[in-house]
Amino acid sequence: MLLGGALAGALRTSVTRVEGDGETVTLAAWRMLLRDPAFADAVLFTVRIAVLATAFSAAAALVVALTLRRRGTPLRALAALPVPVPHLLVAVVAVLWLAPGGLAERLLGALPVDLVRDRAGVGIVLVYVYKEAPFLALLLLAAMGRGMLEREEAAAVLGATWWQRLRWVVWPTVRGPLVVGCIVVAAFVLGAFEVPLAVGPNAPLTLAEYAQQATQNDLLAGESLQAAALLVAAAASIVLAVAAVRLAKDPQGD
Amino acid sequence: MTERSSPRRLVAAALAAAFALPIGVLVVRAFADAWRAPAVIPQRWGLRGLREALSGMALDAFANSLIVAIVVTVAAVALAWPAARVLGERRLRHPALPFLVLALPLLVPSYATGAGLTQWFLRLGLVDALPGLALAHLVIVLPYVTVVLLSAFGPPVTALEEMACSQGLTALQRLRWVTLPAVRPSLAAAVLLGFLVSWSEYGSSLAVGGGRPMLPLVLLPFVRSDPQVASALSLLFLAPAVAALVLAARAARSPL
Repeated sequence: MLLGGALAGALRTSVTRVEGDGETVTLAAWRMLLRDPAFADAVLFTVRIAVLATAFSAAAALVVALTLRRRGTPLRALAALPVPVPHLLVAVVAVLWLAPGGLAERLLGALPVDLVRDRAGVGIVLVYVYKEAPFLALLLLAAMGRGMLEREEAAAVLGATWWQRLRWVVWPTVRGPLVVGCIVVAAFVLGAFEVPLAVGPNAPLTLAEYAQQATQNDLLAGESLQAAALLVAAAASIVLAVAAVRLAKDPQGD
Repeated sequence: MTERSSPRRLVAAALAAAFALPIGVLVVRAFADAWRAPAVIPQRWGLRGLREALSGMALDAFANSLIVAIVVTVAAVALAWPAARVLGERRLRHPALPFLVLALPLLVPSYATGAGLTQWFLRLGLVDALPGLALAHLVIVLPYVTVVLLSAFGPPVTALEEMACSQGLTALQRLRWVTLPAVRPSLAAAVLLGFLVSWSEYGSSLAVGGGRPMLPLVLLPFVRSDPQVASALSLLFLAPAVAALVLAARAARSPL
């Protein structure tokens, strides 16, 4: 009910303009949004970061989970340590290590590329991978369980190679939880802005940063623009989620 | 023995270093009054960062964030419990739609949720108030808590409860002696996750808070302006998260 109210409130704000004592219904904010090149840049930048951060986090999580699947609780607990650390705190750590003049540069002499406040958003992606890969690895390890190890051993006895076991035993087991986890990660990245504000560039902005700046630039009309931009971010999350679920479906319909 | 334990130790060392090294620098930076490049070790140690951090709105922000996180976690568990039971025990014929509605807040940016709620909260006088912040956080925390909690319920817990019922235990006794111990690990994980999500929530706090200090909002500006104060505030930010992790790990093991 609260979420429905929130979305209805955002939609209402996006098509309303305060004039004098009253309010008028107008699509001016949406028109302004769609004509603004900074908004198009923000959409592209945000989707690119979300896709890259999610893909790299998923790949890293798969490697960690495969490495730890036969290991005990202490190692799994160590791998999960970044999970309770807030995103903003990881962003602070990234600035201390990777910013110009940061600890990495002091230890290595110089970094080959800019990693903080860079236009490509590499620093943002790195922060998300550090934070989200352990979260996804936890989901995968929970899905793997003892049953998968037994099936893997049975496949090995029948002569399946490492690659065949990965393709026919491991992947079908982890595909579902991995897709669900990736959807949660991508949706978070699409909407969050504490990490881009801390380590991201001044331009292009992410969608959430664009929405926040809209109210700073114009207090009245900015609210409609902000609501419209945030609704686009919400729609992008839902479209990506639907696409991920469809892509993850097995050709046989599993 | 040595051959088998070597890779294990190597993996353990790599994982521990991947966590401890980055986080450890926070502690060093928080107490480094002077740390100019290219020095790898601070030139002067001191408490400036801590003093600056605690002289502003940080303590108010800490208290606000803590109150909201605790209230939201308790409310989320209370609301998620019946939903998780129904979904976990597969009592619904078509669970997909309720599950989708429940999980939808995970897909909508929290800033969007907060900005949308602000329109209604302004009319209700809930903007710039802790109850408003708690309600906004609850929208985001509830799906996480429900998803974790529903894995606890299912045929084994139902069977245990039926056995307890046949032995004459009252509803309260069943809850105290059967259900809570049976779902303890999932409940601890749900409480931990709920607390952490609310504790670190930024978007909805910014939208609904109306300037009321919350710890993430107070911390962010210092990331660019003063890394030492940002590091000191980060330690303040990390402490309850670690405490919650330790408490949840203990609760998952020992009887409630």
